[in-house]
Amino acid sequence: MLRRILLPTILVLLGYGFWVSPDFKEIAAGVSIFLFGMLTLEEGFKVFSGGTLEKILQKSTDKLYKSISFGFVATAIMQSSSLVSVLTISFIGAGLIGLTQGIGIILGANIGTTTGAWLMAGFGLKVKISAYAMPMLAFGVILIFQKAKSLKGVGFILAGLGFLFLGIHYMKDGFEAFKATVDLASFAVDGFKGLLIFIGVGILATVVMQSSHATIVLILAALSVGQITYENALALTIGANIGTTITAVIGSLSSNIDGKRLAGAHFVFNVVTALVAIAIMDQIMYVVEVISESIGIANDNHTLKLAVFDSLFKVMGVVLFIPFINKLVTFLTKTIKPTKTRLDGEYDNVRYLNDSVLELPSTSLAAIILETRHLYDNSFEIITHGLNIKRSNIISSMPLDEVVKDLYSEHAVDIDEFYNKRIKGIYGEIIDFSTKSQSQMSPEDIEVLYKLKLANRDMVEAVKDTKQLQKNLLKYSNCTNHHIKEQYDKIRKDLAGLLRDINIIATTNEDDVILLLLSKAKVHTEKYDILANGTLDNLIRKGLVTNEMATSLMNDSAYAYDISKNLIDMAEITFSTVNEEMLMDSDDVKSILDKKDIA
Amino acid sequence: MSFKKFLKSVITSLELGDYKVEGKKKAIKDLLKKLNRRKQNLKKSLEKASEKKQQKELKEELEILSFEIKKGKKILYKLYAKNKKKDK
Repeated sequence: MLRRILLPTILVLLGYGFWVSPDFKEIAAGVSIFLFGMLTLEEGFKVFSGGTLEKILQKSTDKLYKSISFGFVATAIMQSSSLVSVLTISFIGAGLIGLTQGIGIILGANIGTTTGAWLMAGFGLKVKISAYAMPMLAFGVILIFQKAKSLKGVGFILAGLGFLFLGIHYMKDGFEAFKATVDLASFAVDGFKGLLIFIGVGILATVVMQSSHATIVLILAALSVGQITYENALALTIGANIGTTITAVIGSLSSNIDGKRLAGAHFVFNVVTALVAIAIMDQIMYVVEVISESIGIANDNHTLKLAVFDSLFKVMGVVLFIPFINKLVTFLTKTIKPTKTRLDGEYDNVRYLNDSVLELPSTSLAAIILETRHLYDNSFEIITHGLNIKRSNIISSMPLDEVVKDLYSEHAVDIDEFYNKRIKGIYGEIIDFSTKSQSQMSPEDIEVLYKLKLANRDMVEAVKDTKQLQKNLLKYSNCTNHHIKEQYDKIRKDLAGLLRDINIIATTNEDDVILLLLSKAKVHTEKYDILANGTLDNLIRKGLVTNEMATSLMNDSAYAYDISKNLIDMAEITFSTVNEEMLMDSDDVKSILDKKDIA
Repeated sequence: MSFKKFLKSVITSLELGDYKVEGKKKAIKDLLKKLNRRKQNLKKSLEKASEKKQQKELKEELEILSFEIKKGKKILYKLYAKNKKKDK
């Protein structure tokens, strides 16, 4: 509702402003160009986020101080805390970093934004900044049209910086011209009332512009020409800091639970810091004076003093919050709960696929990998139960002969119901999400994605084949003909062994173990195929099984063979860390079975 | 010197060329080390094994391991040959 009213109101106000004042038009154009510059800059940095940034992020966030430093440095370089926030939400959403690390990055990013104020106050307002903007724009646009991805990225960054500088130039010029017609400083309000009013204005401006950085630059531009008082500028800065959290909260609505919690942390942090700042405003202003004097800032240089205030205010907030981060995580985990929880018998949903991870190809891919593992967990459960085996026995070290004896249930498990509730939906979502994320991926990533889709299909096929196999498993497991019973128990035992090996593959980091188990599984699948090794022929020839039994066994062993093949292929794609060339292919398996090519 | 040549010489001097191949070589070498260690242990276990079933299983594992080691060596040899060709 509010959003519906907000846009027309803004448009009407802007229209009115343009009609009454051409100078206001210049300021608004300056803000627009500045915001466009930020978008272009973000676009440029996203080009370089196809690996390097993610690797740095993952490696440099294992400790809190590292997370804070990363947030600071990344924001200082990219001049956009919103891009860092989006990246962080995306990484949390994909399960690559935890909430604590994410909060650390957000705290660091908050300090990082102060570099923008320093640049603007110390450089942007002192020189004719548009002189730098023009060549950047010209070079940038030429590079944007290049085919090479990295050149395109550099082009976007240059053009983005060019637009930022140009925006600052127009804002500054606009305010200077505006001063000749209207003196905004006459609207200044003193005291606590003024503080609250201007905090409100700061919040509103930031919500409208969706960028605290743009608000602070606008404040500095207005302050530099005396259109606002220093005290009111401080209040506006606090407001901008609160306003930015509202942007983050809106942005997190499409995110998963951790993204929402991170936005919650951002909100709590900025609001509490603002409240503390309001409570001790006089003391902060005194410290700002002391710092400014000690670093040689002139008494009337209010823009640089505002940069000192911005830094002090944000560093103070971070220092204040560091001891309480774990408590904040606990609080957020308790208060912001997932809307859909899994209950037995209920439908299971995707855990990692959400719009926030679509921001980057690497996070999309990471989320799909994690979701594939989630689907594997569900498939593992239904296949073991379909074979009438207990899952806990498979993952234990219990001898396989005993595993097949310890039945899961007296009755057949309804695989169809389980498939519809815990497999089908997730599988569909993975395929749908893969199609969505593919558009922004490199050919290498698309190849990986294709393999993951195959792995998911293999899993679903394995579940469907288990359903077919299950029909006769119960029937012949209790059969008086011990020959057929033995064969069906063998099928169960072989599949139980394979599931156990795949579980080890899924949980180990040792590439030699993975390689050996995958190879063994491939050899076993071929070696123990009763159609190929003559077991079935033998049973029929000796009249040990009836024709009906033989047909069932032939069909079911084919199902078991397909289940094994699909599970091995899936494990190879989903869990293997071994160099692809080292993995055994069908010719290698044949060589082993024929006892050739062995040292 | 053309830009391409300059870039090539920088890459060569900083040993940045074929970092993918170098990474692959290292990964296979490490894997071969582990497989060889495993093979030695397996041989010892096979000597100690008394049960026929266990002996059969260990023998099969040893066969697979030997095959994998041979395969790894072949890949490594090819990678070194590729590098030599480039150096020439």
